[in-house]
Amino acid sequence: MQRKIDHSMRRGLLYASALGLSVAVLGAGQLPETGRVIGRVRLTSRVPGKPLPSAAYPRRTVGDHDAPTLPEIRNVVVYIKDAMYRGALPATRAELRQEHETFIPHTVAITRGSSVDFPNGDPFFHNVFSLSRAANFNLGRYERGQSRAREFTKAGTIKVYCDIHSHMSATILVFDHPYFTIPGPDGSFELPAIPAGQYTIVGWHERVGERLERVRVEAGKAASIELTVPVPVDGGAP
Amino acid sequence: MVTFVTVALLLAVVFIVVTVSVRNQVRQSVASNLESTQRLFAAVETRRQRELRAQAETLADNATLKAALDTYQTETRADRATVRADLLATIDQVLGNVAARVDSDAIVLVDTRQATLAAAGRMADRWPRSRPVALVASKAPDSFDGVARMGDAVFRVVTVPLLLDDATIGTLYVATSLNQEYAQELDHLAGHRIAIVGDGLVLATTLTPRASRQFESAVAVEHQVDGTVALDGESYAFRRLVAVGDTVFYALGSIDESSQAAMRDAMRNLAFVGVFGIGLAAIGSFWLARLLSEPIGALSDSLAAMAASRNVSARLPVTGSSREVDTLTETFNALMASVGEAQAQTQSAYTGAIRALASALDARDPYTAGHSDRVSVLSVAICRQLNLPPADVEVVRLGALLHDIGKIGIPDDVLRKPGALTAAEFDIIKQHPVIGARMLRSVAFLAPHIPIVELHHERPDGQGYPRGLRGDEIPLDARIVHVADAYDAMTSARAYRSARPPAEALRELWRCAGTHFHADIVAALANSLPGVISDTTHAELEPV
Repeated sequence: MQRKIDHSMRRGLLYASALGLSVAVLGAGQLPETGRVIGRVRLTSRVPGKPLPSAAYPRRTVGDHDAPTLPEIRNVVVYIKDAMYRGALPATRAELRQEHETFIPHTVAITRGSSVDFPNGDPFFHNVFSLSRAANFNLGRYERGQSRAREFTKAGTIKVYCDIHSHMSATILVFDHPYFTIPGPDGSFELPAIPAGQYTIVGWHERVGERLERVRVEAGKAASIELTVPVPVDGGAP
Repeated sequence: MVTFVTVALLLAVVFIVVTVSVRNQVRQSVASNLESTQRLFAAVETRRQRELRAQAETLADNATLKAALDTYQTETRADRATVRADLLATIDQVLGNVAARVDSDAIVLVDTRQATLAAAGRMADRWPRSRPVALVASKAPDSFDGVARMGDAVFRVVTVPLLLDDATIGTLYVATSLNQEYAQELDHLAGHRIAIVGDGLVLATTLTPRASRQFESAVAVEHQVDGTVALDGESYAFRRLVAVGDTVFYALGSIDESSQAAMRDAMRNLAFVGVFGIGLAAIGSFWLARLLSEPIGALSDSLAAMAASRNVSARLPVTGSSREVDTLTETFNALMASVGEAQAQTQSAYTGAIRALASALDARDPYTAGHSDRVSVLSVAICRQLNLPPADVEVVRLGALLHDIGKIGIPDDVLRKPGALTAAEFDIIKQHPVIGARMLRSVAFLAPHIPIVELHHERPDGQGYPRGLRGDEIPLDARIVHVADAYDAMTSARAYRSARPPAEALRELWRCAGTHFHADIVAALANSLPGVISDTTHAELEPV
């Protein structure tokens, strides 16, 4: 318990310092010429067809597997496509907990050079591995309470799995720039301090891919857009 | 003969009935057999599909496969140009492992865009990469199978979704080719012909090509559930085993084939019954013959005997062997009784006529009045003395009455001449037996009496007339009447002499015995006389 509090406090501190740093960088050189993008992501559900039954026999239940799930909107990442960023990227430290046979959160977005911790919160062994081009690794199997970390040095989409529980997956998006965010529970987002110019804003979801929206950012102004992400649904609402 | 024809006819009818009923029964039994096969097959098939899927599910619950698939799809989605050969190789390897453990023709990984991504197994080459797959899913609820067409090959497919965080990232197809081999396997398991029909075409079958084409046009198009159909000259019952998507599995049972054995059994039984029936018919005929023919034969023999003897008084014995024959016998006896009665009446009428004839004769000559009656009485007495049968006595009685009937043809002047006759006249007199006999011949029933009339003047020494017979050549009847006639003549008065007393007449008879008369007859007369004399009312017979 002591350890957990300590951990989250440290994480908060890290976030604060990272934010401060980026503001400092932007503020130093390009502050008068930046604007921001605000908007909302709307998830629509797309039912691809009559779902087939998912199992021949009732699934073996392992613990309380489907306990906490984050809202689907938290699996969407909004970012500027192919943004150029000169300067030092703020390195952060994110966390993907393994709890109830699920990676929490399911989707994490980080800057290149940041690290992700993979603590095991389940009373049994877990594993973390990836076959992705951007990061090919295997952290091995470890028990409850233990944590392994990995630094991501290459931008890209990294899918993470557990080789013990084949239904577990998570996605880590590693960016070369800081212009990305995960919308709030109501779908609203804000991308601050963007140099004025023409951009393509992406609403990304792992099962949809990129949904693009063109936007013009003017200095000192807020460009407003709406992104629609049609998430395929099988077997029920998202 | 009639019995055998009846039996043959009966057997023919039974044969037809048996043939028809056997066919019907076989048709029903084949149909119910197909029905139970269908139920069994449906149950086994559902279970097999379930097991197959569970097996594939377990094998597909593979972190490496899912990671490779998901990573591949994620990266391809981000950049179409990127092809991760290492990931595909990983997927192929995992699929190969699954294919080696699951009984199927192909294990196929289909992505979320419903296109093939990888395939393994014997028929993996039918599932080239990036080929869109159209799966016609089974309509049944809770089913997870369907039919997929890949070029000219049709596969029955069990689907296993690959789940990642409750989202489907792809589907594993466990595909079984619906080919000839599969049809043969089903045929072997079901014990019936199998036809797999998809989209109105027979995909695979264990029927002959010709029958298959006929089945296709007759049944396949209409998707009938069951019925009967004639294929290539053979009658089949068919039933839908299971329908998967637009593909239907039919089982067919040949009624003709099945009825052959049943018919053989039925024919064997029928043959046995036939032999038994004919045997029974033979025994029955024999028994009937005994029961009917023999009494009827006996009856007919009796009738023949009766006809031959002209005896209407005899009665046939009631045998009791058969009611019908007994009734016939009784009826016949009744008929004969009435015939006998009628004959008796006729005879009495004739007898009356004869008596009248005799009386008329007697009336012509007063000297011989009552002569015929007396001779008759005497003759009967002699017969009784000789213990002759009643029938013979009757012949003698009437014969004696008629013995001089021929004198009707003798002219009065000769017959009634008071004096002695000349030789010529005597010759005329001697004609009367022949004339009498001629007269009697015209009346059939008087035939027995003819010898008496004709020969009552023959003598044992051969000096009699008309033929001059000797000794035993003369019938007994005629001998008796001859003696009685002579006795009565002697004891009667004549125009030319008076009557002689009986004793003297007897003496005269004895004297002439052996020459004129037969001695035994004379003896019989002598013995019978006292009774006869007391019986007769003739005054001249009174001893003097």
